[in-house]
Amino acid sequence: MRKVILASLLGGALLFSARAESPTPEQLQILKEMGVSPADVIIEEGREYYHNLKGTTGKTCASCHGQDGDGLVGAYAKMPRYYTDIKRVADIDLRIKSCLEKYVGVDASGKKGRKIIVPLAGYVATLSNGMPISVELKHPEEKRLYEYGKELWFKRVGARDFSCAICHDVLAGKRIRLQKLGAPVRDKLYAHWPAYRISKDKLWTMEDRIRGCYKSFFLFDPDKGKFDFKKNWVKKPPFYIEEIIALELYMKRAANGAKIEVPGLLR
Amino acid sequence: MKRGLLVALFASAGIIACQPASQAVKQEKQTLSAQAKTQEKVDKAQLFRKALNAQDKWQKACSNPTQIAPEGVDVAQFIKEMKETIKYPKDGKLVGDWKKGESLALLPKEYKALYGTKGGSRKGNCYACHCGDPRIIACGNIGPSLRGYGNKGIDPKLTYDRIYNSWAQVPCSTMFRFGYHGLLSPEEIAHIVGYLHDPESPINK
Repeated sequence: MRKVILASLLGGALLFSARAESPTPEQLQILKEMGVSPADVIIEEGREYYHNLKGTTGKTCASCHGQDGDGLVGAYAKMPRYYTDIKRVADIDLRIKSCLEKYVGVDASGKKGRKIIVPLAGYVATLSNGMPISVELKHPEEKRLYEYGKELWFKRVGARDFSCAICHDVLAGKRIRLQKLGAPVRDKLYAHWPAYRISKDKLWTMEDRIRGCYKSFFLFDPDKGKFDFKKNWVKKPPFYIEEIIALELYMKRAANGAKIEVPGLLR
Repeated sequence: MKRGLLVALFASAGIIACQPASQAVKQEKQTLSAQAKTQEKVDKAQLFRKALNAQDKWQKACSNPTQIAPEGVDVAQFIKEMKETIKYPKDGKLVGDWKKGESLALLPKEYKALYGTKGGSRKGNCYACHCGDPRIIACGNIGPSLRGYGNKGIDPKLTYDRIYNSWAQVPCSTMFRFGYHGLLSPEEIAHIVGYLHDPESPINK
């Protein structure tokens, strides 16, 4: 079903994206007029999981958080934050993964897990739509990770001497080929994540985005010598590691005050 | 290990005895693969951290909010040390074959769009940041346009050095240090210098 709707919707959308630029206001208008964005279909899937996905404990997300996500309204605006039950700072992805594994009893690891976590993340994020991002740094772990995220943001490393900041602060607004570089910190772009990516036909959380960025760093294992496409390329960090969450904390804190409007719609 | 289990299975000889044994095998296999998965994940995280920590001292000097002004080092010393890393082709030729250079500069899909044949490479990726050949419209604007670069009277050695290690001229530049990081070999850099300087190259035509 999802595929059919997407196929018909995307016929048009993909024509726009052929030139690999961000969707124009007119394109967004067309999608709005059609009454459904492809991302809505994925978020609907998330709502389905929220109410009906059962694991070994027999509970669903709704068993604890209430029908239609009542208990989670506004929760996304405060993430990432420290959670006492898992004793870690968690972003939305890790929070959902932990819940699924701990309280629902579903194996949410690996690629299979992402297929559940991402729609759920999209759904839970929409529950905070219209609210301002308000990430607070209260717990010492939150403070520590924020500082670490800031350090990573500016850290130039890898065979391309990249940092997040060089592209997304210094060069923001310029183009890599036809793709304009956004400024998530300056322009508070976090308010539009998770976002639907037309070119991938997928909903992406910020974890997906950061991993994709690190792939372009050309990181390499120094013990194996210089960078090599085939033999020495450390492509992406694994999901849910501290480094990703630290960067999210840095970027989302910078977006404090911005009204959440998810899912965003991107090339 | 497996043989031992098989022997045990045969010895028990009864279906009732067999079932718990095979279940145990299954369970054991599951725990093992789960353990392997966790191990693999830890290793990937460790490898990523190792790669992140492999920052060289010049990268470190550029890792400040300006991103372009090195901190904590003497700039003259910075440039001197970067210059010392530059190596030249064995035959001493700094201007190579422009056609080979073009194939290194263009992505395979860009090359195919122009010539309809196999060629191109991921190594140079020049058009991500620069424009040059007017036939390539999907070019970035991070670096300056290289259209007509060869007609400007720039010393090819300067071009070579810039590609080999841009930080020897502009500390902390966005441009990759292609030779320093081994993204391109000295010979390959010379070919790209040819692509930029040769009057026959589409850059200059």
